[in-house]
Parts: sequence; C-alpha cells; structure tokens
Amino acid sequence: MDLCDYAAYQLAWMIKRKQVSASEVLESTLKRIAIVDGIPGQLDGDISAEPDKIHAFISLTAERARLQAQRIDQAIRAGEEVGVLAGVPFTVKDIFCVEGTLTTAASRILSNFIAPYTATPVARAEEAGGIMLGKVNLDEFTFGSSNESSAYQPSPRNPWNTSRVPGGSSGGSAAAVASGEGCLSIGTDTAGSIRQPAAFCGVVGVKPTYGRVSRYGLIAFGSSLDCPGPVARNVSDAALLLQVMSGVDPHDSTTANLPVPDYVTDLEKPIRGWRVGLSPDYFRLTYVNSESGELEQQPIPEEYRQAIYRVAGRLAEMGADIVEDVPMPHTKYSIPAYFVISRVEAASNLHRYDGVKYGYRTQQPVKDLREMYRKTRGEGFGLQPKLRILMGMYVSAAQYSEQYYLRALRVRTLIRRDFETIFDPNGKYRLHALLTPTTPTTAFPIAQVYGDSVLMQFADQLTVAANHAGVPAISFPCGFDPDGLPYGAQLIGPDFSEDRLLRLARNYEIVTESDQWRKRFPPILNNLPN
Amino acid sequence: MTEYEAVIGLETHIQLNTLTKIFCSCKADSWNDPPNTNICPVCTGLPGVLPVLNKAAVEKAMLLAAAMNAEIQSISYFDRKNYFYPDLPKGYQISQYNMPIARGGYLVFPMPDGTERKVTIQKLHLEEDAGKTKNDFGRRLIDFNRCGVPLVEMVTGPDLRSADEVAQYIIRLRQLLRWIGVSEADMEKGHLRCDANVSIRPKGSSVLNPKTEIKNVNSIVAIRDSIQTEIQRQIREVEAGNQIESWTLEWDEESSILRKMRSKETEADYRYFREPDLLSLQIDEKWKTEVLSTLPELPLQRRARFVNQYGLPLYDADILTSERSLSDYYEAALRAYQGEPKRVSNWIINDLLRMINELGISAAELKVTPLYLAQIIRMVDDNTINNSTAKALLDKVQSSGKEPAVIVSEEGLAKVSDADALDGLIRQLIANNPEQVANYRKGKIGLLGWFVGQVMKETQGKADAQLARSILEKHLNA
Repeated sequence: MDLCDYAAYQLAWMIKRKQVSASEVLESTLKRIAIVDGIPGQLDGDISAEPDKIHAFISLTAERARLQAQRIDQAIRAGEEVGVLAGVPFTVKDIFCVEGTLTTAASRILSNFIAPYTATPVARAEEAGGIMLGKVNLDEFTFGSSNESSAYQPSPRNPWNTSRVPGGSSGGSAAAVASGEGCLSIGTDTAGSIRQPAAFCGVVGVKPTYGRVSRYGLIAFGSSLDCPGPVARNVSDAALLLQVMSGVDPHDSTTANLPVPDYVTDLEKPIRGWRVGLSPDYFRLTYVNSESGELEQQPIPEEYRQAIYRVAGRLAEMGADIVEDVPMPHTKYSIPAYFVISRVEAASNLHRYDGVKYGYRTQQPVKDLREMYRKTRGEGFGLQPKLRILMGMYVSAAQYSEQYYLRALRVRTLIRRDFETIFDPNGKYRLHALLTPTTPTTAFPIAQVYGDSVLMQFADQLTVAANHAGVPAISFPCGFDPDGLPYGAQLIGPDFSEDRLLRLARNYEIVTESDQWRKRFPPILNNLPN
Repeated sequence: MTEYEAVIGLETHIQLNTLTKIFCSCKADSWNDPPNTNICPVCTGLPGVLPVLNKAAVEKAMLLAAAMNAEIQSISYFDRKNYFYPDLPKGYQISQYNMPIARGGYLVFPMPDGTERKVTIQKLHLEEDAGKTKNDFGRRLIDFNRCGVPLVEMVTGPDLRSADEVAQYIIRLRQLLRWIGVSEADMEKGHLRCDANVSIRPKGSSVLNPKTEIKNVNSIVAIRDSIQTEIQRQIREVEAGNQIESWTLEWDEESSILRKMRSKETEADYRYFREPDLLSLQIDEKWKTEVLSTLPELPLQRRARFVNQYGLPLYDADILTSERSLSDYYEAALRAYQGEPKRVSNWIINDLLRMINELGISAAELKVTPLYLAQIIRMVDDNTINNSTAKALLDKVQSSGKEPAVIVSEEGLAKVSDADALDGLIRQLIANNPEQVANYRKGKIGLLGWFVGQVMKETQGKADAQLARSILEKHLNA
C-alpha cells in the first residue's frame, strides 16, 4: 500500500502531524498516475489506445499541484493553521472552471478555453488545503453514462476491468479515485452521474440536496438538476469533502441559506431505530417498447437484488428497522420526464457556445454570421450535444411545450411527492432513507451500449428520481457480481439529510469491515512496480 | 373620403439607474466608458456562471409599477428567452414572460389642448439588456458593457390615437421616470427606448387591423415623425386598395424615412422557459410597504394640487412641476415666504429658471435657497429694496452663497426712502441743472423722467422712485 492509497482523512491527519509531507503524498500520487493512467484523453485520440490503462485525466497539472503542496508544507512547518484537507490530493471533473486551467467539458467546442475564475466547490476544497491534481475526463458536457461520448479519447476505463466502462458522466472521477489517482474527486450528478460511476468503480459518491453545494463555475447541463458532489474511497472521506464544499454561496442564488451540519463527527454514532425502506419500484426496470410505445417492466438481475437485501440485513444488524413494500409509483416515469426537462435546459445552456467569444471557432471560410454559427457548432459539438439540442429545441418549441415540457414538469412534481410521502415524519412510512440498488446492472462492456442513447439513459433509471425531487442520495460499494464487478447500494433521504445518509453508509462500512469482499482491490493495482 | 384614426400601442424599455447591473456587480452605466470595460464572467456569459438578482433593480421596478398604477405581483418568475445573436453572450436573455413583476396599470396624461388621455399598461417586467453590435467595414464589433444593464419593459394597450398623443405620453413618462428617480430617461443615451405598433382604421370603428412595428426611435421628435409618416403611408395603402402587411420598420432619422427590417411572419420562437438559475421573486407586504413608502407625490398629481391649493394658473403649475426638485423648491420657498403663491411662482418662472438653465443645474443645487428667495421677495414687499436691486441680488446670492439680507446690509443696497436725504439730493440736482429746470417749467414735463433717472443714478438705483418723483414735482412746480 502506497501513500496514495491511504484515506484522505488519514493523510490529512498524518500531514498535519508532520508524519509525512504534502509533497511526499503528492509525489506518491503522481507516481501512481504515471503507472496506471497512460496517455491522457485528447482530441481525435485513439479510443482503443493502451487498453489496460485508466486514462482518467484530460489535463494533469502537476506543477501547479507541486506548488500548492510546497505551500502547505511551508505553512505546516511555520506552525500555521491549515484546513481539513491540507495536503490531500484531489481531482476535478473537467466540467468545473478552475482559474488558469484548461476547462474543456470534454468537448471540442471548449478545447481551447482557459477559465478565468474558479468554481466555488473547487475553490473551497483548495481553501481547505486540498491539492488539485488536474482535470479528469467525463462524457461530453456530462451527456452520458459511460464516458464514451467524451471528445477526449481514450476515455476512462474501469479499474476493476479495463474492458468495461467506468460509468458516467463522472467516470474519470470514479476511475481516478478507485485507482489511487487522488483520494478524492469533485464530480457532478444530473441524473446519477456521480452515483452510477461510483457504483461501477466500487467507490462512494454523494449527490447532495439541490442547493446544498454551489453550482457556480460548474458548466451547466440541466441547471435544475445539476449537483456537484464528492467521490471518495470511503464514507468518511466523502463526508470530509462534502463538508468543505457545502453551504450558501453569494454567487449561486439557488444555494440554501441553511447551516451545514457537521457531517464528520457523528458518522459512527448508532442508527438504532432508523427506518430504512425498500421499494419494489426500485427492483424493476421500466423500458419503452419501441414498437408499441408501451412501458414494459422487468426485474433487475436477481444477484443484484440479493446484494441490496443483504445490505438491508446488515443495516438491521446495526439496529435499523427495515420497512418493505414502500410504493414509489412514479419512479417509472423518471426517465421520460428527465429526457424532456434535461434536454430543454441543455439546449438553452449550450446556446452560448457560438464561436463568438471563446472556445472553438470553425477554421473554414464562412459567408456570414449564420454560417459561422452553423459550422462552429457543427464541428465543435459531438453527437450527444447535437442530439440533445435537437430534442430540447423540439420539446420546448411553442407548439410542443405544453405536450412535452410542461407535462414533464408536472410529472416531476409527482415524483417529488412520492418522496415527500415516504419521508413524512407523520406519514405511514416515516422513513429515514430509502435503500435501492444504484444501477440496474454492474459496469457494462465498452461499446456495448454506446450509440443507443435511449438505452444508455436507462443506466440512470434508479438514480434520476432523486435529481427530479432534489433530494440527497449516496452510493456505496456492497460487494461484487460473479464477474468481479462492484455492486453499488444507494440510500436516498429527505432534503438536507446528507448527515443521516452518510451515517447509515458508515454504519454499513463498520458492520462489513471484515467481510471478505472488502479485501479486494482493483486488479490494475496488482503487481505495481516499486 | 373616409376619415381614419390610428391605433397605437407602445413597448417601452426603461433603463433603471441602479449602480450595478441586474445580475452581477459590474457598473451599470457605461456612458463614455471604452467598450468592454464594465464586464465580468457573469455578464459576458462565460461557462459556469450564474445570475444573482440585484435587489435595487427590483425596488426601482416596484416604484415604477406603483407610479403606473400597476399591480405588483407577490410572486413572479424569470424566464429564458432563447435566440442567437453575437451581442447576447448566453444565447438567451433573462427576462420575465408569463409571470411578470407587475400587471395592469394606466397613466392619465394631459394633452396641450387641455383634454386628458388614458393609456393602459398590460404588463411591466424586468429583464437584462443585451450588448451592442457595430458594423465596422465588414467586421462586427461587440461591446458587452450594456449586457446585464437592468431594464423594465412596459407594454401599453392599443390606446393611443395619434402621433401627438404618443409624444405627449412619452414626455409624461419621461417626466415620471426622472421624478420617481428610477431612470435618467435620457432618450439619446438609450435610457428610454420605444417601439410603436401602428395600425389604422376608419374613425369610429373598433376593429384592430394588421399593424406594423416601428423600431429604433430615440427622440420625441423621431417618435412623432415616424408614427406620423407611417400613419400617412398606411392611409395611402388602404386608399389604394392594398393590404397592410405586418412589417417591422426602422426609422432613419437622417432622411426621415421608414425602412423595412423584416416581415413579421419570420418571427422567432423564443422557446421561453423558467430560468432555473434564479428562484421565484417573492415580494411580501412588508417589503412592498417599505419600498413604496419612498414613492413621492407624482408630477401630475402635484400639478393639479398646485392649481387647486395655490390657485396657480395651469401654465405655472405645469412649469413648476416639470421637474421634481423645482416643484419642491417652489413649495419650500412658498412656505418660507408665507404670502401670495403666484408671486413666488413669478419669481421662479421669470428669474430663477433662467439661472437654472444658464448654470445647467437643478433647483436643489441653487445657492439661492428657497429661504433666500423668500427673503428677497419679502424685502421687495416691504420696500427694503426695489425690483431691480432684487434681481441683481439673485445673482449676487448665487455667486457668493451669502444670505440676501447680509449682502443688502454689507453693500448698502437698501432703498433710499429717507425723504430728507432725497430732498437734499434733489435740491442740489435742481441747482446744478438750471437749463432743464427752465425747460420743464416751460411745459416740457416729460423731463420729470430725466430728473428721476438722475436721482436713481446718484443713488446707484436704490432710491425709492415713487418718493423721488413726488419730491421732484414739489420742487419743480414750486
């Protein structure tokens, strides 16, 4: 085990006590990156290059990180007060602006954009002493669930099996954290983009309550759904990073002006009597039959269902009350409603990339402004943004808005109501949290789903309802499938219950601490050279 | 021949005079600033930025809504109006669509002939301005300074019937905006912009015919001329048996012609939807009461009150209420003077306005304070000084800032109304001018005026002319 494999909270503790220096931790991490990451993603890169490497990064900013680490070491030597993340290396999904760094959104259209300011969550992590390693890969503009849609190839691979996708869109974040390329990563979750890759890569991911963490500096996808959140190797580290990122921001008027509870101190307190629900609506998948247009349902794989029921059993061992048969009747409409709402917002959010002010502009001769727009956007956007723009424009057009967009908003209200009902402290269920699988399947093979953007979206089927409702959720590892790929369990709670979700997940870590499956680590970390 | 009337509705854009822009803290007013100097990531729409609503803009919109008798909504929303243009950096304008900050409302305003007209307001909403595009020999130059400057868009009903009515409405609106302090309302600087929808119909009819929209008119004269031109054109078309098409027209002020910009059929679908980056705008009673408590008496109300309360002619009241500080000045001076209201009005209209205009300042900035003016008029009333001294005194007070009574005593400007003193002076005058005396006594009684003039000259204009005349007559006729 190298320094870079330690937990963030351990490293912060050791660095503060001068047992190791921030620079030593950083060098260990940079060495790991050099060994496992391979070539970074690049425009027009070879999708199949170095198939046994992780390829988490788009831009590694090693020198910037070294300067930061030296500054932390100097501060500690000088006896100055340092933040809770002092010396802890972390990565940032390349959808956040970081001053002076290339900020691409994994799109050609921003391939030359150097951000002139820093996103609030990143700034807060840096102010807490965290060492930013660089920007990691994602689906283009976060539009995907496998990372394959990135304009920067090769896109990240799953550390547990590099022929599998790491999930997405925060695939670079999850793959990096799972491989020791930084203990922590800041990702974003619009439909499951933190939780699904966390599940696929066997790490912890938190989608906070909408408004808990500022979106300032996050390049917008679906503005009413986007949530920045932490990716970490364990619950305590996730709590630590979430603590730092959270809180009201004068630059984001949708942030909640509410005090942020202490996510760390009470993590290991008991959960006796807490009510954890299981809903049959989260153990079946709903698809649209493309012939009939009808919704059809099928159960999730039996082994996955059992894995989640085992989690329920272990939580019960810790004193939780398990409540079965909790109805979540509108879950099945989550994906169609998301399809509409997210695309309307995405199409509008992508308007600004026009080649006028910054970013890519066509190099071809153009006869007028209109042609400049068309060629710039035609060349600059990949397939996913184009599809989403077309769909978003269509469903928000004056003559279709009522039929699609406004209807989807009403469905969203119904989904929110499902959650309000089960979490109502005076209601029938009075749940502290709902326990579900994070994903319908474990990590799928590269190229298996990509290209079918409807099917791809069903990867978010169990996560997206929390985005519609704005409620918080956490995904944490809970074992492996027969192919050795991680299962992810998800806990969803009422607004601003991150502290409870983290405590439940930490209790699960405690009760499963000596389980055999906990001893596994990604095969890519086998036989590391010294 | 058919007699036609015009049906005109206006969309006015009013630039609020806040210090900072509506969604960021950049300076809002960029007049005379070089291009792209008052900009930041937020107003230039960089990736990842978010708008934060400026409270001052909301409060100014509330004041305007109340002044226009509109109903301020307890909850309103911002929406995105999506379209592509190089000077619109986000590719959408943050505006209010179907849930604006205020609805309804009206303004009753006078026409020069003494009649009144009423314009209804359909809605009043807040939005951000876009930047400016300039063509420069085949290149387009963009200035983002204006991006994010707060605007109120106010849409009227189709209530105006002539170009003159439109002009009067805009004049009254401009007066109101300055009066309540929400906008500088300088049309040349684009603080008050006006698009007019114009159609015609036979007089007495109530149908609404296809209309044209006139854009880019930035002075009262241009508004009047362009609408007049368009009404005449429409009449000619209809008389010739042609249909009016829904064009958008642009007024070319230089050559006084309307140019067709585009046909309305190609109007864009802006795909409005709620701005997810802003919360709903909630205005509770407490906030509303607080803000509206600062709303002053409005100009037309004050104008009517000046007529009723002080018995001023409408002409005087109109001038005195042309600007809020002038009307405040008037009332303060009147309070200090405690006399005939018309007398104070005369002094202001005849003398102070000249001074205000020459100095290019507001009434509030005069060193001749209302108290000083009252003091001066009083001194004239009680014969301490004469009229010409009083007028000269105004300038002295303005240039020195000293109290009028102090100047009068320092410079000995008080009227010479001491009969003994004048008597001596007049005896001397008669002794020194035997020829004129003789001519007078021969019947050239017009020379009396010359003698009075000599007395005034000797006393540097301070003599009580009436008294001097009677003493002169006494001696000359002796």
